[in-house]
Amino acid sequence: MTLDNKTFILAGVIVAILIGVVAVFMASGDPDGLESSALVVSGQKDLAGLSPEEGDPEIVGTGTFAYESPLPDYSLPAMDGATGGLIAIVVGIILTLVVVIGATYLVVMGKGNSKA
Amino acid sequence: MHIPDAFIPLPQAAVYWIIALIFLALAVKWARSEMNEDKIPMIAVLAAGIFALQSFNLPVSMGTSGHLVGGALAAIVLGSPFAAVFILTLVLIVQAIIFGDGGITTLGANIINMGVIGGFVGFYSYKGILKAIKNPFVSAGIAAWLACFIPALACAVEMAIAGTFPLAPGLVAMGLYHAIIGVIEGIVTGIVIYVLYRARPDLVDSSVRGAA
Repeated sequence: MTLDNKTFILAGVIVAILIGVVAVFMASGDPDGLESSALVVSGQKDLAGLSPEEGDPEIVGTGTFAYESPLPDYSLPAMDGATGGLIAIVVGIILTLVVVIGATYLVVMGKGNSKA
Repeated sequence: MHIPDAFIPLPQAAVYWIIALIFLALAVKWARSEMNEDKIPMIAVLAAGIFALQSFNLPVSMGTSGHLVGGALAAIVLGSPFAAVFILTLVLIVQAIIFGDGGITTLGANIINMGVIGGFVGFYSYKGILKAIKNPFVSAGIAAWLACFIPALACAVEMAIAGTFPLAPGLVAMGLYHAIIGVIEGIVTGIVIYVLYRARPDLVDSSVRGAA
């Protein structure tokens, strides 16, 4: 079932988008390993216990820099529910694809012996 | 384990940035000599897939969730730890700037943990395990577990240096959660490498082809 380049990229992108779409509906809302650890060391959670609904992992923070991203937490700030999440995830996948292909082309072209 | 801005003071964040930039320069040097246009489809599919899989948080019990990171995956498929540095750096930049997943000042530390440490641990443990058990997909799975667990411990040490986590409780919590999250990393990595090998054996590193 070897695929040619075009089919391979297309299949890869479709599978990635499907995973992203399923993730919007099914992904766990529990904090990740680092956030959970932050809740534990700040006394908001037991090591093996459940995470608090309103826990704040960032309370342990010592840094000062703050940055507002355009699509925080993989959602559109102006849009509630799944639609914003779906748009955000598709934008993310396409953008990642463009950035990575672009960067690879730049690097490969940079060596000046690209095989046409 | 994307470290947010608040977790590392600026002077320390700058040190991690400098180290990350050194490895990024080495990764660009690697890509310039080892990559060519034929490999672009595999790089593209790996990047899109890693971004999507990173958005899929699975519950791992104890009030915690986790997802694939992909350092071992990229390194094993493309045959170099620098492939992980290259791809993970770009994925992490998109995540930080567009989605606020992982900080801007802490991007250097995140590149070191997930790209550099994940990539090197994943790649070299894969090489070693493959010699012992001969099956590239199982070897990749075990290596991917290590490539999740070891960076988590490194992250706990960075948090201790930053004064964000106390050292011992931080190591215990990060180690425990990522020992479980690593099982996801291992299973998904083994399966994805098998699927990529079946779809395009020519674009998968010869160590996988030779042993499969």
